[in-house]
Amino acid sequence: MSGLASPRSASSLSLWRERLFGTPFTAFVTVVLALAIAWVAVPLIRWALIDASWRGTTRADCTAGGACWVFIRARFGQFMYGLYPADQRWRVDIAGIAFVLGVAGVVFAPQRLKLKLGVAMLVLLPPLGIWLLSGGFGLRHVETRDWGGLMLTLFISVYASLIAIPLGILFALGRQSGLRVIRLISVIFIEFWRGVPIIAVIFLASLLLPLIMPGGIDIDRLARAVIGLGFVIAAYMAEAVRGGLQALPKGQREAATALGLTYWKATGLIVLPQALRISLPAMTNEFIALIKNTTLVLVVSILDLLGIAQASLADPNWVGMNMEAYAFSGAIYWLICFALSRWSRSLEKRRRL
Amino acid sequence: MTKALSLINDKRVRDWLYQIVVVVLLVGLTIFFVRNASENMVKAGIASGFGFLWRTSGIEVPFVLTGYTQADNILGLFWVGVANTMLVTVIAIILATALGFVVGIARLSSHWLLSTIAGAYIEFVRNIPLLFFVLFWYFGVIAALPAPRQSIGLFGVAFLNNRGLTIPLPDAMGNLRIAGLIILASVLAYAAFHVWARKRQERTGLHAPTLRVGLALLLAVPVLALTWAVLATRWDVPVLRGFNYRGGFAVIPEFVALLAALVTYTAGFIAEIVRGGIQSVSHGQTEAGSALGLRSGQILRLVTIPQALRVMIPPLTNQYLNVLKNSSFGAAIAYPDLVSLFMGSALNNTGQAIEIIAMTLAVYLVIGLAVSAIMNWYNARIALVTR
Repeated sequence: MSGLASPRSASSLSLWRERLFGTPFTAFVTVVLALAIAWVAVPLIRWALIDASWRGTTRADCTAGGACWVFIRARFGQFMYGLYPADQRWRVDIAGIAFVLGVAGVVFAPQRLKLKLGVAMLVLLPPLGIWLLSGGFGLRHVETRDWGGLMLTLFISVYASLIAIPLGILFALGRQSGLRVIRLISVIFIEFWRGVPIIAVIFLASLLLPLIMPGGIDIDRLARAVIGLGFVIAAYMAEAVRGGLQALPKGQREAATALGLTYWKATGLIVLPQALRISLPAMTNEFIALIKNTTLVLVVSILDLLGIAQASLADPNWVGMNMEAYAFSGAIYWLICFALSRWSRSLEKRRRL
Repeated sequence: MTKALSLINDKRVRDWLYQIVVVVLLVGLTIFFVRNASENMVKAGIASGFGFLWRTSGIEVPFVLTGYTQADNILGLFWVGVANTMLVTVIAIILATALGFVVGIARLSSHWLLSTIAGAYIEFVRNIPLLFFVLFWYFGVIAALPAPRQSIGLFGVAFLNNRGLTIPLPDAMGNLRIAGLIILASVLAYAAFHVWARKRQERTGLHAPTLRVGLALLLAVPVLALTWAVLATRWDVPVLRGFNYRGGFAVIPEFVALLAALVTYTAGFIAEIVRGGIQSVSHGQTEAGSALGLRSGQILRLVTIPQALRVMIPPLTNQYLNVLKNSSFGAAIAYPDLVSLFMGSALNNTGQAIEIIAMTLAVYLVIGLAVSAIMNWYNARIALVTR
């Protein structure tokens, strides 16, 4: 019996020819776009790679005419740690490693240990991080004024979300609550913070927080920015959590109540574990937004990664390094945010399946 | 005893108790903060109240649309800030929508290279902080533009250089006003025609040439009117004198940089909304349209776009409000918007922190609430009517 020949799998070359030059119009668009790409990319690659200077220590070593990556090399420590004393930077490294290990431990722990381990980490890690970074109890004290760079970006993002996530969950629950007064308070809180510019909130926190505290109590400048950001992001987190709460069938809470669980037990054991799993992608997106908005602390002269890059442009020894500083800091932001957004998208896909 | 216990176990009583406790705590906290604030303000010698608004401001602003001068009061400064914020917001929304639609539709193109480039643009822009773009456009691009003598000319009437953008200014507004009135009249005429055509179609089933009339009234008439007005008006075209341009209207570089940043950044988000909206209309809808004998243009206009818009309008509104809030990023490069002028300069000069912060936030909240209200009404109007 002679069957039909199996359809020839299109070779990748002919597939590409079809894609790019299938019809005259397609071919025309392809050529125009290719020319445009070449017009942008060729000078860019020449600048960034071919004509770039990589080795050396001063501006005089940049002779090739392209990018002066020597500048980034010389300033790398500052971009990462700000003005944190060089002999103390190991403390930042340890704090970072402890944080990564803690998160990894919780993620990879067996299911029955996850909750206990997570709570333990949540209680232990934040104070440990603050102790390592700012000092005291045997470590040299480092003023928050000297913190900066990528380390500060991550510090602010993590600690602001430590305020934002619990607060956001509370207000999301409040907005769904049957108690009218609680619901009203939650709606006002959420809509107020979502309605105002974050830059204004950072100004507000740095001006108002010292004003409303009893005389003599001084809140650290950095702490003010973290609190301000934490409150705004809490409102956005609340909306992300609300999505999860609304996606959960009503029967879940009703069944829990029928089993005799109190409101908080039903919430903690039945509703939140499921709702948070649904909200996780949206919450990750809010965390990405938080990392991006961390840059705004620049307006109260706290220098995170972008701030340090901007400040480094004023160095008289390194005049005209704008493009190098922006390219480097932009690439780091992009890598972090892109990785997180990919992760959030894969979470969402897994849930949909 | 038993009665008290049963009261405590009554769900309604307990709910009220909880709420009363929360309210009492909140009120207590507020009183605590207000008392501290008033004590601290007395110590710092600041009188509360809005009287400071009528003091002379003495703050020079490089970019004024309202006729404000240094000698005016602080309330005048406030309005300068509001006007500058609104100006950059409105222009940024228009340009970002245009760019976003182009990128979003390109993302859906069947041409592989085109959709890949659009996708790369979206992924690039969405994962970088807006402040990065603001600083980059200001210190990286505008500062690197040539000096006024070597300006980049745009059609010989506008000039772009490192001191900003100089554009021609009309000597008299008369003709432009007439053109504006003509355009308004033709838009109203189209609206009336549309209503009439729909009523007639519902009554008799007859089609009216909506598209042709629409093109004539919404495109041809405005273009003709504007062309006439532009040609009939005498323009004050900027001319190079010495080291800078004289005449015309000088748009400060901060405005150009902030606008460019807002447009490039927001367009990435709008493109994703457009893509999502168009993709949300299922293919069956298009097929059903062609089965009913509609032409492809009619399918797009009567089937796809109305349904895609229904999905796109709420997130688009959100983005527009984001542009309004994000226009405050201008404070980082000293564009004189509401936040940088009022919350920055005016607050530094007067020290009236609470009043100034309240006024600034109120502007954003009022605009936001108004836009949300309009959008909720619109949404309810176009929402899917189901049985």
